Amino acid sequence: MSAVLIVIMAVPLGATVVSWWAGPRLAGLVTVLAGTATFGLAMALVPSVARYKDGTSAVGALGNWLRVDPLSLVFLLATAFLYCLTAIFSVGYVAADRAATRVYRRRLFAGLNLFAWAMAMAPMVNDLGLLWVAIEVTTVVSALLVAIEGTDGAIEAAWKYILIASLGLGLSLLATAVIYHAGSFSLGGSYDLSYTKLLGKASVFPAATVRLGYLLAVVGYGTKVGLFPVHTWLPDAHSEAPTPVSALLSGSLLATSFYAILRYYQITERAAGAAFARDVLAGFGVLTLLLGTLYLASQRDLKRLLAYSSIEHMGILAIGVSFASPLAIAGALLHVLAHAAAKGTSFFGAGSVARKLRTKDLERIRGGIGLLPWTGPMLVAGMLGLSAMPPFGTFRSELSIVAGGFAGGPGANTAEEAIAAIMVVLATLAFFGLSWHMGQSMLSPVPDSGTAVVKGETSRLMVLAMAFGLLGLVVLGVHPPAALDHLLNGAAAELGVAR
Amino acid sequence: MPVPLLGAVPSPPTTFDGVTEALAVLVLLVVFAMMREALLRSQVRLYAFQSLAVAALAGVLGASQHAGELYVLAGLSVALKVVLVPAVVLRLLSAAEVDLAGSHRFGVATMVLLGVVVSVIGFLTVSNIPINSSGINSLPVPALSAAAATVLVSFVLVMFRADVVSQAVGFFSMENGVSVASLVVAARMPLILEVGFLFDLLVAGVAFGVLMRAHHRRSASLSTETLDQLRG
Amino acid sequence: MQLPPAAVQALQVLVVLFMAPLVSGVIARVEARLQGRRGPRALQPYYDIAKLFRKEMLAPEGASWVFVAAPVVAFTSFLTVPLLIPVLTDFPLPLGYMGDIMGGGLILALGGFSVALAALDTGDPYAQLGSSRAMTFGALIEPSVLFVVFAVALITTTDLPYAMAAVDRSSLAQALRPAHLLAAVAFFLVVLSDTGRIPVETHTSTLEFGMIDEARTFEHSGPALALLKWGSAIKQMVLYVILVDVFCAPWGLAGSRQLGGVLLAVPVLLAKALGAGTIFAVIDNSFSKLRLYKITEFMASAFALSAVSVLVLYLGGG
Repeated sequence: MSAVLIVIMAVPLGATVVSWWAGPRLAGLVTVLAGTATFGLAMALVPSVARYKDGTSAVGALGNWLRVDPLSLVFLLATAFLYCLTAIFSVGYVAADRAATRVYRRRLFAGLNLFAWAMAMAPMVNDLGLLWVAIEVTTVVSALLVAIEGTDGAIEAAWKYILIASLGLGLSLLATAVIYHAGSFSLGGSYDLSYTKLLGKASVFPAATVRLGYLLAVVGYGTKVGLFPVHTWLPDAHSEAPTPVSALLSGSLLATSFYAILRYYQITERAAGAAFARDVLAGFGVLTLLLGTLYLASQRDLKRLLAYSSIEHMGILAIGVSFASPLAIAGALLHVLAHAAAKGTSFFGAGSVARKLRTKDLERIRGGIGLLPWTGPMLVAGMLGLSAMPPFGTFRSELSIVAGGFAGGPGANTAEEAIAAIMVVLATLAFFGLSWHMGQSMLSPVPDSGTAVVKGETSRLMVLAMAFGLLGLVVLGVHPPAALDHLLNGAAAELGVAR
Repeated sequence: MPVPLLGAVPSPPTTFDGVTEALAVLVLLVVFAMMREALLRSQVRLYAFQSLAVAALAGVLGASQHAGELYVLAGLSVALKVVLVPAVVLRLLSAAEVDLAGSHRFGVATMVLLGVVVSVIGFLTVSNIPINSSGINSLPVPALSAAAATVLVSFVLVMFRADVVSQAVGFFSMENGVSVASLVVAARMPLILEVGFLFDLLVAGVAFGVLMRAHHRRSASLSTETLDQLRG
Repeated sequence: MQLPPAAVQALQVLVVLFMAPLVSGVIARVEARLQGRRGPRALQPYYDIAKLFRKEMLAPEGASWVFVAAPVVAFTSFLTVPLLIPVLTDFPLPLGYMGDIMGGGLILALGGFSVALAALDTGDPYAQLGSSRAMTFGALIEPSVLFVVFAVALITTTDLPYAMAAVDRSSLAQALRPAHLLAAVAFFLVVLSDTGRIPVETHTSTLEFGMIDEARTFEHSGPALALLKWGSAIKQMVLYVILVDVFCAPWGLAGSRQLGGVLLAVPVLLAKALGAGTIFAVIDNSFSKLRLYKITEFMASAFALSAVSVLVLYLGGG
């Protein structure tokens, strides 16, 4: 099983090299192969990691520099799944784009592979410092990818993104140093920041220092997650980037950055008490959710709409982890997977629609279902998935989170119940916002004057990618495999330890 | 005749403490100087000077702890932060024939005053957190206050400057502040991690350079005044 | 032989009184030399003051007693400060407890204020321009002065100038501590601003766009003008003495009231003041004057330095 980790590390990296040097067709093929292989390998890890109990059966490699325990596997799965789908989608996307130059294709494919590699490495490395390095690499690569179109908007978005994200990562570097300092009292002056070591001794770390480190980490990595108030780059970057990049950004990168926060959460739980750690996440989560929902309704740009929906879902993630009940935490982790699938599908659909109608303006998009007989309904389904409708996975995950908030009987924890109630209200508002826009743009009749637009799908691969995404979403909602359930429970157990 | 004093004179810092603290305060003062400096070229040179001070700090720490790895770190910092990154940015500036001076959103005096207020916040925060220097002869805690203030004042610099080079220089000087802070609290971090951080910063610097160039090519200026299309 | 304390105290005042024009003259000559000219003779200010005393004094119509009294008030207040600061001795003399650093600052400000008041009294537009500018910039530099005083007080737990000098002399570590260095640089900038040097004001010419201190004395003539010129030279020397004897180089002061020691301290003082003046002359020739609007940047920089010095001391332990 350790070999699997090494292969997962090597495959996207190899794909990057190949796509840079080879022609666009080969690059596309290699990317799809790499994506599928990564996803397959990640799924192969599930049975062995799911038997995790008290520190056993985590898969390690390279002398424990790489280590996959249930928590990392959840995020690795989300990344790998979306990597696979995006690869398929981008082959179709680039093929259908007549204006794409050879340089553009090369950069896009190589960039996608490198981006996916960095996002896959982040959950796999067993070191707080290397985690920072991985996330920094994702920032740099994704910023360059956002700017790849070269338009004014793209440059502006990329500049804002890299500036704000780098500032945030500077804060998280400080957080890493502070946590290192907290550990140096019990672990000695010079030690590596592996999780096993840190978590083993975390209970004797000085609480105030750890609290400072945790706050810095939440604010610092929170810039990449899109937490309020450091989310301002998010709508711009996600809407100006090419569609495959947006899908990866929204679906995987936000979650991977949240994973980084979760590692700090684990340390803080043991050192400074779970209440503090949870309160911080709850506070940021509620504000983020509120902000995302409020802005959702007033959007005019299709992709910006989806970007604000991502902000909203990140808020839900933070809230989910901040509840004490393991049900809620497991629900939040399921949400990572479900959101990746739903967001990927929605962005793919949005990209197809925008490509077809040559505009992202929601006021001008009309008759989506009529124009795109496959993509249209699937986009509607994706947006319903984002609104947490059954039978989609997001319904199951958000329900688990809310149920976890109310767990322990009525009146057990009024703060959590209040937050859960707020979450229900805001999620409903988000549903209204999304469905309003969806109805207007997708379910309206095709305008007669739109004869310039040819009915029919642009690319079968794009449709295929969306179909797979929806399939995953439905599977997660209707009947998640038992191994996955074990995995989620194991990960939740990792997070909800010391009280 | 002795001079009457009202109380005990606070003892001065030891030579090691004093030198390191002076260097850390120098790092902070450079950020203030960056605020004042209008010419972009001079800002980049100030950043190179600041990085030199940080490398000197690492070197002093290495000398006092007899830790060879800190010398390596200092050397690498000089190579990357004093030579390479400023060269990258200066190359961009020489390619940009206009916009040699940055634009401010507020006046310099306002920014300096804001910087002072923010430094006070930084100093107060650090003094309220119980931080002990990790091990003997690590950098003294006052250097951490100066580092925290540097980070915060760099944020002010980024927020209130309206051209890409000033914002990038502000980010780099924030990283210098974080480097000083990590020298205080985590001086013995494994070398591999420190090198990893440095190379990452280099890569980030290159990315900044690429985007600055793209911005310049697109809008023929380095000002961020044009970057206000995306709102809401 | 031991001099009586009153004699030493009087000697302090007399030294400042008679050496001040020499310091001005030497600075002017050094500056001219740096510019490649021959420059006026070093004793020229004495001749100027003597000439002015022989001339007739005129007052503009409508000027009141303030106009006549102000030069005298300024002169005497500037002369009072040498009683309070370490000029010749490193221990406080009897009248030295009359005021601390803040008291000295207040008396200096009183002198400046009276000159400004007299300028307003004349009704002359240039004089009013100068006095309003002088008061504004004086107010802007005040926070820096206060913070420097705070830094000194935090280091020495008292704000007698003698104490600061004593602490500096006690060990090299004390002299080189970061807070002290910062406070010294901040005070250096304050002196730059208070004596009307580049980059705040051009000392040598009277450009309407930039003149601050020079404009206030436009309407005075004769002995009043002599007193004002002398007074500004005295103020300059007093500020140099504070800069040198309290912050930068507090060595060479007499340790007791022995005649030999005290007399030796006089040329040492002169040398130190001339050294400081030379540095200012070099700065004069190296930088250009700031535009009037940009002087606030200068003030803000001085404030930032003094604030950081207090922060490092109070919250940083250095």
